[in-house]
This record gives sequence, C-alpha cells and structure tokens, in this order.
Amino acid sequence: MATALMAAATTSCSPRRAAPLLKPMASSSSSPSSARARRPLAQQLPRLLATAAAAVAAAPLPALAEQMEKAALFDFNLTLPAIATEFLLLMVALDKLYFTPLGKFMDERDAKIRGELGDVKDASEEVKQLEEQAAAIMKAARAEIAAALNKMKKETTAELEAKLDEGRRRVEAELVEALANLEAQKEEAVKALDAQIASLSDEIVKKVLPSA
Amino acid sequence: MNITPCSIKTLKGLYDISGVEVGQHFYWQIGGFQIHAQVLITSWVVITILLGSVIIAVRNPQTIPTDGQNFFEYVLEFIRDLSKTQIGEEYGPWVPFIGTMFLFIFVSNWSGALLPWKIIELPHGELAAPTNDINTTVALALLTSAAYFYAGLSKKGLSYFEKYIKPTPILLPINILEDFTKPLSLSFRLFGNILADELVVVVLVSLVPLVVPIPVMFLGLFTSGIQALIFATLAAAYIGESMEGHH
Repeated sequence: MATALMAAATTSCSPRRAAPLLKPMASSSSSPSSARARRPLAQQLPRLLATAAAAVAAAPLPALAEQMEKAALFDFNLTLPAIATEFLLLMVALDKLYFTPLGKFMDERDAKIRGELGDVKDASEEVKQLEEQAAAIMKAARAEIAAALNKMKKETTAELEAKLDEGRRRVEAELVEALANLEAQKEEAVKALDAQIASLSDEIVKKVLPSA
Repeated sequence: MNITPCSIKTLKGLYDISGVEVGQHFYWQIGGFQIHAQVLITSWVVITILLGSVIIAVRNPQTIPTDGQNFFEYVLEFIRDLSKTQIGEEYGPWVPFIGTMFLFIFVSNWSGALLPWKIIELPHGELAAPTNDINTTVALALLTSAAYFYAGLSKKGLSYFEKYIKPTPILLPINILEDFTKPLSLSFRLFGNILADELVVVVLVSLVPLVVPIPVMFLGLFTSGIQALIFATLAAAYIGESMEGHH
C-alpha cells in the first residue's frame, strides 16, 4: 500500500519531469515585477497541481487496488495444520531431548543435595552422641582413677602402719631385753657387792680390833 | 525543489530494502492445497535453532552446570514455575506443552526482530516471524483449546461439561461462547502484536532510516517476549481452569 504511494510520489516528482515545469517559474521570478509576467505563474499553479493529482490518481490507485486484492492477511490454508503438526512434533522432540531428561536430572540432583544435607544433620547428631560418650568415658575414667588413688592410699597407709607397728614392737622387745640385761647386771653387781661387803667388813673388823 | 525528489528517491531505495509486504505470501502447492512457504521455512529455522541449542546444551548434563546448561535449567525452572502457578500441583504432564508453546513463540517472535530474513529473497512475499501469519497463531490457539478440553475431560470425564451450567444455567450461552473467544483472543492478540510491531519498525525505518527506529526495535523485542509469556501463561491458565474442581 505504502509502496504504491511512494512510487507515485517519485514518478511525479522525478527531476526529469519537474525541470520543464520549473523553467517558467524561474524566468518569471527573475524578470522585473510586472503584471503580465506574474500571470503565467498564477495560471500554471493549478495546472501544476492538476498534473500532480492526475499522476497520483492515474498511477497508484489501480496498483493499490491490485495490491489490496492480493493482500491476504486472513488467508487460511494448509499452513495451519502444517504448523500444528510441526508444533506437536517439536513438543515431542523437546520433551525427549530437554524437558524430561533435564527435569529428571535436576530433580535427582535436588534429591541428592537434600539427602546430603540430611546426612550432615544426622552427622551433627552423631557428633553429639560421640561427645556424650566421650564425656561418659572421661567421667568413668576419673572415677576409676579416684578409686585407684583411694585404694592405693589405703594400702600405703596400711603398709606404713604395719611397718610402724613392727618397728614399735621391735623397739619394745629390744627395750625389754635391754631392761632385762640391766636387771641381770644389777643383780650380778649386787651379788658381787654382797661378797665384797662381807670381806670388807671382815677386814674392817680386823683393823679396828687389832688382835683382840 | 530539486532536493525533495532526490531525497524521495533515496528513501525509495531504502524503502525497497525495508519495504513491508503485508499479506503477501509465497505459495507452495501440496496435493492441491496451498501453503505459505515463507511461514514453513522460518518455522523450520526456529525449530532448528531450538533443537540445536537444546541438544548442544543439555546433551551431557553436569552436576555443576556449565553456561548453556545453566541457561536451559533456568528456562526449565521458569516454565515449571509458570505451569505450577497456573495449573497447580498436577502441572507435571503439561510442562512440555506450555514450555514448547513459550519457547516456540518466543524464538519465533525474536527471530522476526533479530534475524536478517531480508537477505534471503523469495519470488513472492517475504520471510518474517512465523507468528506474523494468522495460520500459525490460530494453529497454536486451537492446540491450546484442544489441550484444555483434553485436560478437563481426562481429569473429570463427562462431568467436565457441567461447568457450562455453573454457577447457573442462564450462563450457558456465555460459557459456550467462551470456548470460541478464548482461541480467538489468543490468536489475534499474538498475530496483531507481532504484525503491528514489525509494521511499525518497517514504517519507521522507511521514514527515518537511522537511530530513530532503534528504541522501537527494542520495544518490539520487549513486546515479543511479553506476548510469548502471555500466550503461555493464558494457555496454562485455561488448562488449570478446566482441571480445577468447582466443588
């Protein structure tokens, strides 16, 4: 439609045809102003317009009509089922190549990621369990150590006491023995003194009572 | 006065490059039926782009995704999210339909805006986005209708048709009408938007060849994406609507 109008415009305004029309205009404007010279211009203007109008009217309208006839915007034919079939085939192909495989792949990956996240959560629980276990073990170990320490302390004390007892007993025994020894020596000394006393008293008597 | 014709000539030259031919088709005859070859060709290109990129990116999925795989995983999650929002928990079987709908329309629309189809010259008509043709959009819309009927019937059996007399039998004509307006609005919305977008770009390019059309082109890309999203969302919404229980 627009093509036809444009074509008309170019044909009517082509320089070849415009040149002769321009000549009188140029001569009239260059000539000194006179009523006679001005008149042709005034007469030519309608003629100019008429030729232009004729050109527009003659050339484009049949072309326009022809194009309007040929132009088929709403031209339904085999293209419709052809495109529908193409679309259905494309749908099947895209489903096989794209939607189903990639969708499945993405779902599987999602499931995997979710599973791994779940595993991580489980692992944290496991860690907690292990920590509790470790604490329990530590507690038990501490209790054991305390018990062992206590036992050892008791044993050591008992041993020490036993040794102490033994030592005391030995000391006592030695003491008793020493005392007994001393007693015996005393008795011996007393006996010896007794004997000496008798002889001494005899001698004293002899000395004091001479030849009495 | 000499400047005007010349600039018009230049413009015409540019216009011939960027000229739009609305409703012009390159016909093939197949078994007595006519077919729009330009639509078929561009749709093949779109399908090739889709399948090719998918095969390259998803051929060997990695646990830690590479760039391409990452992109397609993002797309898949987007489609799943969209289906789940509209259909509900039983969205799984509908992901391929909604996804293909979205991807096909999106790549088609963007191919119209980004691929230099004009380089390939056809005997008649021109290559453009497949969604630029009413046949394509109507085909997709009718498939959507079939899909939501199938969804409803397979979920509820014949009691699916009870929805026509709900909440009151007075609404029966309107409910029946809805089944016609749904594909109609779907197809015409997409068709109109894409055609209008391409026309606006072409007309602007023909008027001002440089710089000025660029914002409109970006707007066109935006519109194309939005239209693909709208079509897929509405298709999912219709399917979800026919599956949900009105109890």
